[in-house]
Amino acid sequence: MSYERYRSGGLGLKTGIALALGVFAVWSLAPIVWMVMTSFMRQRALIVRPPDFSPASFTLANVTKIIGESDMLWQGILNSAAVALLSTAIALALGAPAAYALARLRLPKAGAISFLILATQMLPGIAVAIPLFLIISRIGMIDHIVTLALVYLTFNLPIVIWILRGFFLSIPDSIEKAAAVDGAGVVQTFVHIILPISRPPLAAAAIFAFVEAWNEFFFALILTRRSVQTVPLVISQFQGQYQTAFGQMMAAALISVLPVILLAIVFRNHIIRGFADGMSKG
Amino acid sequence: MPQIELRNVGKSFGTFIVCHDINLVIREGEFLTLLGTSGCGKTTTLNMLAGLEEISSGDLLLDGVRANHLAPTERDVAMVFQNYALYPHMTVARNIGFTLKMRGVSRDEITRRVTEVAQSLELGHLLDRLPSQLSGGQQQRVAIGRAIVRRPKIFLFDEPFSNLDATLRVRMRAEVKDLHRRLGVTSVFVTHDQEEALSISDRIAVMRGGVIEQVGTPEEIYLHPATSYVAGFIGNPQITLLSGRVQASSGQLSVVSGAAELPLPPDADVTPGQAIEFAVRPEQVQPDPKGHPATVTSVQPVGAATHVGVMTAFGPMVASLPRFARLNHGETITLGFEPAHMLLFDATTGRSVGRRPIPVRKERTGS
Repeated sequence: MSYERYRSGGLGLKTGIALALGVFAVWSLAPIVWMVMTSFMRQRALIVRPPDFSPASFTLANVTKIIGESDMLWQGILNSAAVALLSTAIALALGAPAAYALARLRLPKAGAISFLILATQMLPGIAVAIPLFLIISRIGMIDHIVTLALVYLTFNLPIVIWILRGFFLSIPDSIEKAAAVDGAGVVQTFVHIILPISRPPLAAAAIFAFVEAWNEFFFALILTRRSVQTVPLVISQFQGQYQTAFGQMMAAALISVLPVILLAIVFRNHIIRGFADGMSKG
Repeated sequence: MPQIELRNVGKSFGTFIVCHDINLVIREGEFLTLLGTSGCGKTTTLNMLAGLEEISSGDLLLDGVRANHLAPTERDVAMVFQNYALYPHMTVARNIGFTLKMRGVSRDEITRRVTEVAQSLELGHLLDRLPSQLSGGQQQRVAIGRAIVRRPKIFLFDEPFSNLDATLRVRMRAEVKDLHRRLGVTSVFVTHDQEEALSISDRIAVMRGGVIEQVGTPEEIYLHPATSYVAGFIGNPQITLLSGRVQASSGQLSVVSGAAELPLPPDADVTPGQAIEFAVRPEQVQPDPKGHPATVTSVQPVGAATHVGVMTAFGPMVASLPRFARLNHGETITLGFEPAHMLLFDATTGRSVGRRPIPVRKERTGS
C-alpha cells in the first residue's frame, strides 16, 4: 500500500494498521523484554508459577556474576567476533564484485545464475551437516576459527550477493556510461564509483552477515571442541543436567546481543536504506 | 573531411530493430541534432556513436577510420546525459576532474584545468559542493564542465535539458550554443523538442521508427519538409494535414478537397488523379478579403501572435495572426495563402511532392 493511500485513508484504516504494527512489535519485543527481565531476577522467582514479579525478586547478582566470573563468556565473545568479522569481510570482498558482475556485465544467463545462488539457501543446514563434519574432521580443521568463518561464508555469500545485486540494478546506468566515457574501465568504475555510492547496502549486507555468524549455533556446536567456542555455545552451557541457571543464562545472552544491537543502532539509517534499495529490485 | 560517418548503421536487440540503415555524415565543427519522439532510435544512435551500445550492422567511421570496435575512451568523445549522471559521492571539483584522473593527468594540472573550466561555467564558488547540494541547472553545468575539461574531439548531448524548467532550458540552450561557437567542437545533440532543435543546430536529422526521415538545415527542414511526418512534427503550432485529389482543368493543376478546389503551384510534382495531403504553415495563412471563408473555432493568444483555429470548406486549419487578434468563436473571417506556400505530400508514401523535392534518407556529403 502506498503512503498516499495511507494518508488519505479513514480512521478505520489507520487504526487497523496501528493495531497490526502494535501486535507485531509486541510479538518481536516480548522475548527481548523477557530476556532482560530474567537476567535481573532470582532463580527462585523464575521457577514458581506464575513467576514472582515482586521487587524482592530482582537482583544484579546474575549480571555481576557473569561479568565477574565467566571467563568463558568473554572468550566466547572474542571467538564469535573473530569468526563473524572474518566471515563478513570475505563475504563482502567476494560478494560485491560477484553481485556487480551479475547485475551489470551482461553475462549470459545472469538471471539463472543469480537464482541458482539463491537456491543454495533452500538446502536445510542439517542436510550438509554430516558430510561437512566428515570432510572437515578428515582434513583436521575441526575447532578452527577459519573453518567456522568459511562455513558461515557459504550461507552468507548468497544473501550478500542478492542484497547488493538488487542495489546495483537500481543504480541508473547513465552513471556507469558517464564513467565509461570519462575513461574508467569496469574495475575502475566499480572501485571509484559503484562501491562508494553503495555504502548503505554494503552496511546492510555486512550487518546481516555479521549477525548470522554471531548467532549461529548448530554448526558451531558440531564443528568446534573447546578452543573456539562461540557465544551461543557458551550460553547453552548454563543449561545444566539437573538445573538451568536461567538468570545467568539470560544475563549472558543479554551481554552477547549488546554488540549486535549497538551495531544496528549506529548503522540504522544505512541498514534501512540498504535493505529498502536492495529488496526493491530482484 | 567528415569527422563522423555512419554507413548503413543498424541496431537490433534480438529481433527487435531499433535503428535501421542510418546514413549520416557529420562535418568537423558542426552542430548536428538528432530529433524525434521517444523510441525513434535517436538515443541509441548517440550511444552507438559513444561506444556505449554495440553496432549491430554497418560501419561507424571517425576521422575516416572504422571505429565500431573502439571503447568509449578510445573514441575521444565526451557526453552529457539527461539526468546529468554526476557521481553523487564526489564534489563538483572531483566530478569534473575524474576523467583527467582516469587519464593519469597530474594532480596540479587537474586542479588548474578544473578551476579554469569551473570559472568559465560560473561554477567557481561551488567546487566543494556535492551534486545533491546543487540546483538542476548547476548540476547540468557541472556535467558540461566534465565534458569540456578533457577537450574531446566530439561532444554528445543526450536530451541534456529535458529535466530543466522552461526558463532555464532556454538559457542553457544559449549557453551550449555559445560554448559550441567558442570551442568549435563537433557536437551531436539529441532532443525530442523541435523548437530546441531548430534554435541550436547547424543541421537536424529527423528520426522516426529507427530511420532518418530527413537531414537538413533548420530552414530546409522547416520550409521544405521531405515527408508529411516531418512537416507535422516541426513547427508550432502544428500544421493540420488535409487530404485531397489532384485535378487538371485547362492546364491548371488544382487539388479538390471537401467542397473546395484550391489551385496548386505550377511546379508541383503531381499528376491528375493523385491522392495527396497538403498543409500551409500557420504564419503563411493571412487575412485576405478575397480569400476563403473560415469559421473561427479556437483563439489562443500567445503574445507575439494569436493562433486561430478555423474551419474552412476544405477542412480545419490554423492561422497565426500577429499580436492579439480580436476574434470571437463562431465568427466568420476570410483567409488566404499563396499556392507556392502549400506543403504537398503523396498520400500513400508521405513524401514531398512540392515544388522542390528534397532527397529522402539520402545524406548530402561535402559542404
